[in-house]
Amino acid sequence: MSSPAGTAAPAAVEVTGLSRHFGPVRALHDVSLRVPAGSLTAVMGENGAGKSTLMKILAGLDAPTAGRVRVADEPVRRFDPATLLSRHRVALVPQELSLCQDRSVAENIMLGAEPGSRAFPNRTRLVERAAELLDRLGVRVDPRRTVRRLDAATQQLVVIARSLAREARVLILDEPTSILSPAESERLFGVIESLRADGVTMLYVSHRMPEVFALSEHIHVLRDGRHVGQWRTADVTPDEVVAAMVGRDLAGEFDRGRPARVPDPAVPPRLRLQGVTGRGFAEVSLDVAPGEVVGVAGLPDSGRVELLRAVFGADPIDSGSVALDGQPFTARSPRDAIRARVAYLPGERRHQGIFPTMSVADNVNVLTLGRRQRFGVLRRGALRRDADARVRRLRVKTATTGQGITQLSGGNQQKALLARWLAIEPRLMLLDEPTRGVDVGAKAEIYRLFRELADAGVGILVSSSDLPELLSICDRIAVLAAGRLVGVLPAAEATEEKVMALATGAHTVKEKA
Amino acid sequence: MTTTTTAAPPAEATAAASGNHPLRRFLQAREASTFLALVVLFALGTVIAPGFLGTANFLTVGQQIAQIGIMAVGMTFVIINAEIDLSVGSIYGLGAICCGLLMASDVTWPLAALGGIAAGAVAGLLNGLMTVGFGIPSFIVTLGTLSVYRGVALLLSGGEPVSLSSKNPNVAEFNLLGQGKLFGVLPMQLVFFVLIAVFGTILLSRSRYGFNTYAVGGSAEAARLCGINTGRVKVIAFVLSGTMAGLAGVLGLSFLSYVQGVTGTGMELTAISAVIIGGAALFGGSGTMLGTVIGVAFIGVLQNILNLRGISSFWQTVATGAVIILAVTADTWLRRRSGRR
Repeated sequence: MSSPAGTAAPAAVEVTGLSRHFGPVRALHDVSLRVPAGSLTAVMGENGAGKSTLMKILAGLDAPTAGRVRVADEPVRRFDPATLLSRHRVALVPQELSLCQDRSVAENIMLGAEPGSRAFPNRTRLVERAAELLDRLGVRVDPRRTVRRLDAATQQLVVIARSLAREARVLILDEPTSILSPAESERLFGVIESLRADGVTMLYVSHRMPEVFALSEHIHVLRDGRHVGQWRTADVTPDEVVAAMVGRDLAGEFDRGRPARVPDPAVPPRLRLQGVTGRGFAEVSLDVAPGEVVGVAGLPDSGRVELLRAVFGADPIDSGSVALDGQPFTARSPRDAIRARVAYLPGERRHQGIFPTMSVADNVNVLTLGRRQRFGVLRRGALRRDADARVRRLRVKTATTGQGITQLSGGNQQKALLARWLAIEPRLMLLDEPTRGVDVGAKAEIYRLFRELADAGVGILVSSSDLPELLSICDRIAVLAAGRLVGVLPAAEATEEKVMALATGAHTVKEKA
Repeated sequence: MTTTTTAAPPAEATAAASGNHPLRRFLQAREASTFLALVVLFALGTVIAPGFLGTANFLTVGQQIAQIGIMAVGMTFVIINAEIDLSVGSIYGLGAICCGLLMASDVTWPLAALGGIAAGAVAGLLNGLMTVGFGIPSFIVTLGTLSVYRGVALLLSGGEPVSLSSKNPNVAEFNLLGQGKLFGVLPMQLVFFVLIAVFGTILLSRSRYGFNTYAVGGSAEAARLCGINTGRVKVIAFVLSGTMAGLAGVLGLSFLSYVQGVTGTGMELTAISAVIIGGAALFGGSGTMLGTVIGVAFIGVLQNILNLRGISSFWQTVATGAVIILAVTADTWLRRRSGRR
């Protein structure tokens, strides 16, 4: 399925046997690839496929465990950003833009390449030179403006201009369109064309098929840290790329032995969303029946995280209606949702889930303190017994419930958080990445728990970037793309390919072609 | 509940290796390093400072630390919330001036005292509402009100000191708050401190509010997602801090019968120092009332020893500062070694 890519042009970047291991975790394993000079090469893969690790190494933000990198035929000996930038002329445009927000555009662009003497740069020439670079990129912005007042799209172009100021010959663009609107993306593509005309080699990381097929000459796919495919873009279809990203061999590995639940039309759904719009998503209509597990799939910026937060009352809903068991329901704060017995497990466990300075007991008791006080004084004995019972029920592995929660493994922390939420006997659970950073054993236990809860009539809406997970635990899968619901697939019909095709817009490419 | 957190038993591995010995558990408790330092200082005082060991001297120390101690109790709530209150020294002065002006216009003393305390509560409420409402750091808000409240105190007093005459029976009764002795032995100020500290301990470690304080300080976002009204928790902490500072100001006036606009300048730093020496982290989420009390006692004993040795008060200032740095450094090292958080 692979054809040798671009053997004619000399290599701008050549990676041989590159590995990056974190203990037993192989973020990148024995990856070899060659980027022809002057080309735009796309690197694709699902979350956790190793794209970011590879890009970080090429930008000098991380060092490989094994393997070699050559840039323009010169081996890279030191992996730090300064070396890669000044010596090898490789620059990264990261997803999280790193600019000095309160300095001018010109100062940001010329940072580290100031004209004039090192200690006292010539400010007039600094502005002139920055203006030249912006002009070359076709960007119209006053170089004297403060960066903070620019929108994200223009800031991104400032980062690109900065890499030109350092005479970068290789530019790494890490999901550059994830923060851009369609119109802003078009402007970026124009800039990319002018860079191509200048002979800059580009490495382009993206999930989005249409832009990858429109821009790239070569496509490489990583999966589970390995290099699993490479093509000339002209010789491949989006479906083939999706298949490589997903890995056909993975399908069927997960247990799908559960008959899809047919909701009883007489019973109102646990959750009904009608045309719900909020920050990051629009016009979403979706039902979750009692006992149904509905998955929400989509790229990281698809709005699935925001949707769950808004239903829970953590963020506002701008329009549309929400109903719980047939009753209109608007959570103005998480407090309202909790009172209505709606649970929410945030995806950012460390920052939004656990109370890091508190014990396991305190962490699982936080929602039910009101039941255990007498004359305003908490009853320690009763609370301790509550915690012990909850921890035992979910088999959280902890020496005592008095232990600090941060001393538990990720999987046990997550089980403790589930124990916290089960204490309110939820009728609806909103789960964001419920098994992120959870080991395989605990994963299986958590899935079993979801099934038990669903069988007891709880409605579950689960958002995850782990497609095999969604396929194995959900009755239906709703797919979001750019904040809109683009399809709902019954479990029987859903495959990773179909979900990914919807999420990445692979079908829109075909329509164009 | 919450004290079990801060005195959390060691990690599984450590527990297995050490057999979870009670002494080891004690040593890993957050207050342990401060307590040991206090013991060492105590022993040192006994040896080098004549007249240190004795009930009379200890009661004097108790009297001297009471006002700072009361302020530190309020400050503990603020700091565990991951906030800071730099304005308590000014609130102390404001409370004392308000109370003093009321006394000077012959208001009966219980009302005058309540007036001073209420001024502190209102000042604290404003600190809290601005911090939460404007969404700006409390460091900035209270840096501003440090100056504003001091200015108000100076304006109210017209720059003139307020002096109360104990010939007035109303003043004489009022003076008992700060000068009186319970059973003829225990300084009333110390009694107030003990009562406040007990109240603070129960509120912090046994009430739902205290629980929420640790939760909000540990992770405000997680607390919000658990339905905790994080803004209210913080505002209440500032009200507690302001009220305590106002009360301390009233006691100070009662003790001296004299107050001026600048009274209490710099006390905020001593109160914050006591809390920090007591083991609370400025990042919030950790600290105990017992730790704060030990921290207050430490500062009091240190100053007492230097006094008894006849060392200049300038050196006392130097010593207090050095101790803060030492205490936090020692605590950080110990924590890193034991892997405790």
